[in-house]
Amino acid sequence: MQALISLDNAPPLAAPLRFFLSAPLFLMLAGLLLAVAGPEVFASRWLPATLALVHLVTIGFMLQVMIGAMIQVLPVVAGASLPRPLALARFVHAALSVGALLLAAGFLSGGAALLRLAALLLALGVGAFLLAAMPVVLPQVSTSPTIRGLKLSLFGLAGVAGLGVALALGLAHGWRLPYPELADLHAGWGLAAWAGVLLAAMAYVMMPMFQLTPGYPARPSWWYPPLLLGLVLLWSLAVALGWPLLTRLTQGMLAVVGLAFTGLTLRLQRQRRRARADATSRYWLAGLCAALGALAMLAAATLWPAVTVWPAWTPLFAILLLAGAFVSFIAGMLYKIVPFLTWMHLQLKMQPGLPAPNMNRLLPDPAMRRQALSYLMALALLLGAAVAPSWLARPAGILLALAGGWLWWNLLGTAWRYRLQAIALAGASDERAQRAGG
Amino acid sequence: MTPIRSFMTADHRHCDNLFAAAEEAMAKGDLGAGKIAFEQFREALQNHFSAEEKTLFPSFEVKTGMTMGPTRVMRMEHEQMRILLDEAAKALERGDGDDYLGQAETLLIMMQQHNLKEENMLYPMCDEHLAAEASAVLAHLETDLSSAT
Repeated sequence: MQALISLDNAPPLAAPLRFFLSAPLFLMLAGLLLAVAGPEVFASRWLPATLALVHLVTIGFMLQVMIGAMIQVLPVVAGASLPRPLALARFVHAALSVGALLLAAGFLSGGAALLRLAALLLALGVGAFLLAAMPVVLPQVSTSPTIRGLKLSLFGLAGVAGLGVALALGLAHGWRLPYPELADLHAGWGLAAWAGVLLAAMAYVMMPMFQLTPGYPARPSWWYPPLLLGLVLLWSLAVALGWPLLTRLTQGMLAVVGLAFTGLTLRLQRQRRRARADATSRYWLAGLCAALGALAMLAAATLWPAVTVWPAWTPLFAILLLAGAFVSFIAGMLYKIVPFLTWMHLQLKMQPGLPAPNMNRLLPDPAMRRQALSYLMALALLLGAAVAPSWLARPAGILLALAGGWLWWNLLGTAWRYRLQAIALAGASDERAQRAGG
Repeated sequence: MTPIRSFMTADHRHCDNLFAAAEEAMAKGDLGAGKIAFEQFREALQNHFSAEEKTLFPSFEVKTGMTMGPTRVMRMEHEQMRILLDEAAKALERGDGDDYLGQAETLLIMMQQHNLKEENMLYPMCDEHLAAEASAVLAHLETDLSSAT
């Protein structure tokens, strides 16, 4: 009977919105860090500034939006109502925001206490979310590939967080760990088993919904999430047993599976029935192209490991996958989700029969399109900076900070217009009540 | 077998196609074609709502005794979408293409998330609870959808 109650059970707006409004600030911060640290960020993935930058994007931006979105969609899509969503959102949001900042500060300063505290906060934030979500999500029957994907992604989140906390504590305490292998595996859990699976589960729903594409074919949709999770588990086994060949094989298979999904998504995009190219469709197209590039690089690196010796290889791969693919997909989704949620909550406050301002009034199309363009320019500069860091690293950082700030400004404007309308509506209904009373 | 789910889901896709045709005409700036396509879409969507409100929801409510459950939420969302339909129609009357596209965007997402709940939750529940009378309900729904056009 869970499903019955949940139809009515969308969480309060403040629960998901806090994640969506603070996430772009971390993108801005990542850009500022790049502008300050400059070319050295591209020299090695192990440098303090590089680690800080990557985690500002992955935890500060990606993880925040992903958890905020999950709090919103779990009741609607999976019929799973989280207990006390607002209190949960407040706690998780605070833990992740402060945790991401402390982690970045810990990397930059090398301070063991900061790393320990960051690991504790992030473990608490993710742990609280998983403890709330797992008991209501896992018992749901997987009646659609989306529900199966949402369920499996929670294991991916547990995996990436567990490994991340172990690595941070390892650094803080100077434990002797196989850091390169574990860091790769940590990224595999985060980007394939958590973000990749969640992205697929959401794409199954969102692509037909926002763009009127045909649905994903059923069989691959059912198999894609368990396949990704299975491959990451196999990769973990390979690392545990110390079998580098199996590690390479699973990475190669992840690349192939990811390429197939991306290719299929691009084909569906071409069949979309909406003629208009809006900011979201541009973001997604850019994201899909970047994903194709990143996954082709991953496939190439497993076949010919020598290519990774090229100094620009690793930064190019990371930029394509994180900034190019995931950040673009997420920004595109934010531009649909935030105006729609604010509209929906306003509509619920309206007197019966009266219209709320439509989505384009809450977030005008031109503002989104220009911001998307600025982000794509930042992406181009970032890719250029991977090849010519001494010239382009700082400009790329500045542009990334601007594009992140602009995204924040656009979403904040929507929240502000919502607030003004909501206050006006509350005032009007007070007046009516007074008149009726008098 | 999920006869109600399949039948009603197919009608959702039919409405989607009509929506896309209207939006395409408007995006091309063809107001005349847009108005005709929008009217077809509006009619199809309203028929869908009334088939649910007159046939499917009451059958479900009688059988399960739940009048304040999922069908109440679905009826409320129908009301919200009727407002959006009216606002979109007014924008077309004024020849205000931008406002139309804004209303249409909002309506589309509202409609899609509503459909999602029906297709994944309510229709499967209808198939489960109305298994015995499924063919009669389906015949009724078919008449509702065709007689109204």
